[in-house]
Amino acid sequence: MRLFGSGGHLRHQRLQTVLTIAAIATAVALPVVLLGVGGGVSSHELSNLQNAGYQIVISAAGLHGIANAHRLTGQLLALPEVAAASPVLSIAVDAFPPGKGAVPSLAEGVIPDQFAPTLGPTEDGLFPQPLPLGDPTDLVHYDNGTYAGPATYDVLVSSPFAQAYHLAVGSTLGLAPVPNATEAVPYSVTGVFGVPLGTLGQTGAFALLLPLSDLQVMTGYARGAGTPVVDAADSVEVAAAGAVSTEPGALAALQRQIQAMVPYYTVSTLSQQAAQLQTAASVLTGFYLALSSVGLTVGLVFLALVLLRRVESDRRSIGIRRALGLPPRAVVGPVVAEGLAIAAIGAVAGIVGGIALVDGLAAWGSGAVQEAADLAIFVPATMAELAGAVVVLALVAGGLAARSALRLDLLEALR
Amino acid sequence: MSGDGRPPRIELRGVERIYDRGAADEVRALRGIDLTVGPGETVSIEGPSGCGKTSLLNLIGLLDTPTRGEVRWDDRPVGERTDRERARLRLERVGFIFQRFYLLPTLTARENVELPMRALGLGRGERRDRATALLTEVGLRGRERAFPHQLSGGEEQRVAVARALGNRPGLLLADEPTGELDLANTEAILTLLEKVRADRGASLLVVTHNPSVARRARRHLAIQDGRIVGDVREA
Repeated sequence: MRLFGSGGHLRHQRLQTVLTIAAIATAVALPVVLLGVGGGVSSHELSNLQNAGYQIVISAAGLHGIANAHRLTGQLLALPEVAAASPVLSIAVDAFPPGKGAVPSLAEGVIPDQFAPTLGPTEDGLFPQPLPLGDPTDLVHYDNGTYAGPATYDVLVSSPFAQAYHLAVGSTLGLAPVPNATEAVPYSVTGVFGVPLGTLGQTGAFALLLPLSDLQVMTGYARGAGTPVVDAADSVEVAAAGAVSTEPGALAALQRQIQAMVPYYTVSTLSQQAAQLQTAASVLTGFYLALSSVGLTVGLVFLALVLLRRVESDRRSIGIRRALGLPPRAVVGPVVAEGLAIAAIGAVAGIVGGIALVDGLAAWGSGAVQEAADLAIFVPATMAELAGAVVVLALVAGGLAARSALRLDLLEALR
Repeated sequence: MSGDGRPPRIELRGVERIYDRGAADEVRALRGIDLTVGPGETVSIEGPSGCGKTSLLNLIGLLDTPTRGEVRWDDRPVGERTDRERARLRLERVGFIFQRFYLLPTLTARENVELPMRALGLGRGERRDRATALLTEVGLRGRERAFPHQLSGGEEQRVAVARALGNRPGLLLADEPTGELDLANTEAILTLLEKVRADRGASLLVVTHNPSVARRARRHLAIQDGRIVGDVREA
């Protein structure tokens, strides 16, 4: 039986058909993009958690962070189950490479000999060891919170940053909390570190590593009264010692012990964070699918309308088939087959189009959109499920049209 | 597999057919029809346009049901059969040659002829052989692949005749089967229909205005204003 033959419906009502295919393709492309990008970002975050060199995170948001980082680190290191406690204190600063204007950069203040043990497998070998930041414990400059000791003014720069601005060990780099060169303090580049694959974007890639107390002096309360920038401490990463790091019960006990030390902070294990992330990803996936089902329903309505119109315009042919005594399957088969063909074309176009769109965003997009698109993952099983959903919807639409065709008054149809 | 080529015994008792009943413009197409057509009979149906000839064929051929009265096939009221059963009877036992041919525009001549055979489950080879033989008999050899819009009116009519014979029906219903044909093709088609009737004992009911067609029948019905006004059997 010829579906697209001479005088076929697709020729005669091409515009309707093309619009329906476009509607279905859009409805399919939406979940392809959302699930691909959302799944990719979640997977990336999960991978980061699973590959980290620490097991517990203390979230110490806002003002408490930098001011308490040394004190808290000291308390944690006093616990026998703790191998390292590394504050991760991040803030955007402005860097002034020689002869250049302000370059927004992500500065991380660290205690050098605590930072190294918390590096995970994916960061292995990316940082020079030991970290060439002059004051391994950061206690000299910190001097019990007085900052009276001598600062090192050492900084490590990421390799993309070094490459972009021709920085090398021995270069001078001005750093300031605001885009004002007169406030910049000259730092000496003492090393270059690599950036893990999948690091998100220019801000993440243009990173600096410097002693915790230097960052404190540059951006936080240590600058003195009238400072325009507050501390930006966000967490302390804790690496457990020995078997505690791999034994869930012991890790949970350590978590409770730390929580008791800092009752106002959130203390969580990475496995808990991973579980939360997966839960959040599942919720998002459900939301994406709900959103997509709206699109697919619109596509179904389009398809049903086109097929019903096809029944109307082909009522003579349908009447002839019925007059000849053909069974219902032979009467409505062409209508259902056309619905399936339109849906299949739309589904394939949607899947291919969605993937192409994400690839395009990854190649030519900018900012966070490009970063997220770059991480997208397209799971074949998900694509197959989407295509299956479209086929089911096409059968529903075809069924509606078939019902209409079989209910036509025979003699009316032949007129 | 083939159609059930048994010619049916057909009876109409007190049959009326009213279209758009109750409407201001209702049409009483048939009134008080009593008619029996035995297996193997050849019947011509004549009458002016709009007198009810096609309505009568539609009722006999199970395309329609009467508004009043009863149509019986092989002594069983047609009204007792479901739509699906009536469709099956049409497929297996009735060959329709419609006045307006009713070919499917998206199918070739051969595909149109094969369509009922396909629904009956005939194999591809048998379908093709039968369709080719029928199209040859109606003078369309070499035109098998033409679409209806590429055929003349006469050629379309001959394809319609070939299609009606495809399932070897026991009842042939022809509504002006030669209306678009020249003399030679008219003779060829009539000879073919006569051959089918003679070979298989099929019943043949022909609506016609053509005296040469009517002459081939052994029984002649005349219809006027929805009533049978003449029923003549030749000796």
